Amino acid sequence: MYYSIIISLIEVVLVLVPALLGIAYVTIAERKTMASMQRRLGPNFVGYYGLLQAFADALKLLLKEYVAPTQANIILFFLGPVITLIFSLLGYAVIPYGPSLAINDFSLGIYYILAVSSLATYGILLAGWSANSKYAFLGSLRSTAQLISYELVLSSAILLVIMLTGSLNLSVNIESQRAIWNIFPLLPVFIIFFIGSVAETNRAPFDLAEAESELVSGFMTEHAAVVFVFFFLAEYGSIVLMCILTSILFLGGYLSINSLDVFNFFYSILFNIGFIDLNFFNIFYYFYKEIFVNNSIIEGLIYGLTIGLKSSILIFLFIWVRASFPRIRFDQLMAFCWTVLLPLLFALIVLLPCILYSYNILPVNVL
Amino acid sequence: MSSMTLFILFVSIIALLFLFINLIFAPHNPYQEKYSIFECGFHSFLGQNRTQFGVKFFIFALVYLLLDLEILLTFPFAVSEYVNNIYGLIILLGFITIITIGFVYELGKSALKIDSRQVITMTRFNYSSTIEYLGKI
Repeated sequence: MYYSIIISLIEVVLVLVPALLGIAYVTIAERKTMASMQRRLGPNFVGYYGLLQAFADALKLLLKEYVAPTQANIILFFLGPVITLIFSLLGYAVIPYGPSLAINDFSLGIYYILAVSSLATYGILLAGWSANSKYAFLGSLRSTAQLISYELVLSSAILLVIMLTGSLNLSVNIESQRAIWNIFPLLPVFIIFFIGSVAETNRAPFDLAEAESELVSGFMTEHAAVVFVFFFLAEYGSIVLMCILTSILFLGGYLSINSLDVFNFFYSILFNIGFIDLNFFNIFYYFYKEIFVNNSIIEGLIYGLTIGLKSSILIFLFIWVRASFPRIRFDQLMAFCWTVLLPLLFALIVLLPCILYSYNILPVNVL
Repeated sequence: MSSMTLFILFVSIIALLFLFINLIFAPHNPYQEKYSIFECGFHSFLGQNRTQFGVKFFIFALVYLLLDLEILLTFPFAVSEYVNNIYGLIILLGFITIITIGFVYELGKSALKIDSRQVITMTRFNYSSTIEYLGKI
């Protein structure tokens, strides 16, 4: 009995510690990338090439004085950030890093992620309201309105993906992309989903909650020390989660190009032009297959590296967007969501099942 | 205990652990100026907080509730598309039509429009640009 608890404890640590380390390194990656885009050096003193900067910052903020304003509701003031952090980290439980390789790969994984990411809004609302400062209050109102509006965009984009794959399980979603990645039939939805996820994580062109020139720092004006770390970690945690989710839903998740297919392609070309000796090539092919393809450890490594590479490219895209575009106004942001993205998505929700039905390609749900 | 329960526990424990490390180890010497709420340039005073806010935010939340429910109610069709073929599709189309009529009504009433002083001055010069079009709606 204890054995199973120890196994699940190891599983949890194996998922959570790399996730937290990844979040820490995404912060440095953002600072370094933005520095390169603005022709500066960025952090380069702590550790080699600035690699320990995130840990130095975290340690500093852990040991800073906490400030709880006298007019604030103290319990809600500390509870809000904790809720935000917890709910932004909970989503990692259902991410499959390999075929069905998640903490709990259950059949309603997408519902779970949607529910957990929408609960994080409560933390922002509580933190902004309880601080009893007008800047924090206005920031939290804006942020909540933005988050719930763009959550509609995200969930209807996910609905369109589900219509193609026919299952709410993330592993089934990935496996049904073995034929073709969802980005090819659903390119407009991918773009809309990307815009929605930038807005959902309060990132740069849409970071109206913390527009420094109007509201000092948005809903976290009064929050200092570790409470600020919670918001920081929650923001970057949800960025990483959103990027992993995008790569799962649209870019095939852990699926990479099968190396044997590439091998066979070149093999057939070389063989057809009579360039190559068949015996030599067969021996080479045999060893390649034994070492790289039939080896489960290397297969698993390639799965993990693939999903990591895809989500890293998406995270780079997030940072690139932040370095490139100016912030837009709040009424433009809301008008863009409600009058451009949502009608477009409703039209697609009507169009897509009609196309699927008329070409008789409705997906079969095997699970 | 399943790994899922353990995961939820572990995440909560990490968050609370950080909070208590901070509360225990950090210095704590408050004075009145430090513990008053933030204000730019002058002293903050009581009574300026928890005032009324724009009703637009409330309307956004109401409309969100309706539309999110609609999208979540469409998910079961997406999962069971193959089983209830044309039957489910027609019901889905009728459902979305009803919701869309309501949504168009909200847009036409400009319930989802946030007024901006900048747009009113800008639209005098030029109606063509997309951004101003967005602002006008």
